[in-house]
Amino acid sequence: MKILNIYRSAPDDTTKKLAEIVGRDREVENFDLAVDAPDYDALVDQIFAADQTICWW
Amino acid sequence: MEYNKVCLMYRNQDCTVDGIRSALGLAVENMYAYGCVMDEPKMEKFNELQTESLEMLRDMEGDVFSTTKENSELNDLEPISIEELGEKLREMTHIIPFGVIKA
Amino acid sequence: MSKSLGIFVTNPDQFKHVMGITKAAKAKGSSVKVFFSWDATHNAKKEAGFSELCELADDVSICVDSYKNMGYDIDDIPKGLEANKMATQAQHGIIIEDYDCYLSL
Repeated sequence: MKILNIYRSAPDDTTKKLAEIVGRDREVENFDLAVDAPDYDALVDQIFAADQTICWW
Repeated sequence: MEYNKVCLMYRNQDCTVDGIRSALGLAVENMYAYGCVMDEPKMEKFNELQTESLEMLRDMEGDVFSTTKENSELNDLEPISIEELGEKLREMTHIIPFGVIKA
Repeated sequence: MSKSLGIFVTNPDQFKHVMGITKAAKAKGSSVKVFFSWDATHNAKKEAGFSELCELADDVSICVDSYKNMGYDIDDIPKGLEANKMATQAQHGIIIEDYDCYLSL
């Protein structure tokens, strides 16, 4: 199972803990949305390739 | 047929009630729907309508959890730790960090 | 054929990303549905690009109860939106059930 974590802001300890448990023993990719110019084209490719996308706060 | 299992998480008390309504909306659509109220501060006491929403959600095999004892006791929410929530999320087809985090 | 994408928006500060992701997905031939709930319904009135999003995406709707709760008149239909897209949480269910990929913002 392939998980894509998208972060809308820098993850705090709670978010990190949840993402760590959800991603345990699974293939995980991360995408930082909290940048000036996100690469939306690459992000959509990653969303399409993932089994589950989680967009954290 | 495999049913969707959805968990919405709320880290801002302002959006908790609407978030629970969203969970209820999904339960009506034949999904297993859960909510989790996280963090401080303390929630407001549910009114009659909100209590009914929680009961309806439970009737449809959904539930609302809380990571704090105060909120669990105030609104009869099922207590859960962050670690337990993480394990529960692993079973979900959809994980929804709802709204914004309260600054 | 490109996968379809459903976007559930609950954070009012994410509109830039809603647009960016929708544009990128449409450029790949994807079908995109966007549903705004709770205070993200402010986007329908306050974001200048909202009507452009309505043209760009295949389906845009908002939660009418949330819109009312945010203080708007439900007869004041946001520019670009059709009256029947002032809808209910069932739209969220459609996104989950009928779209290949799911994103919450």
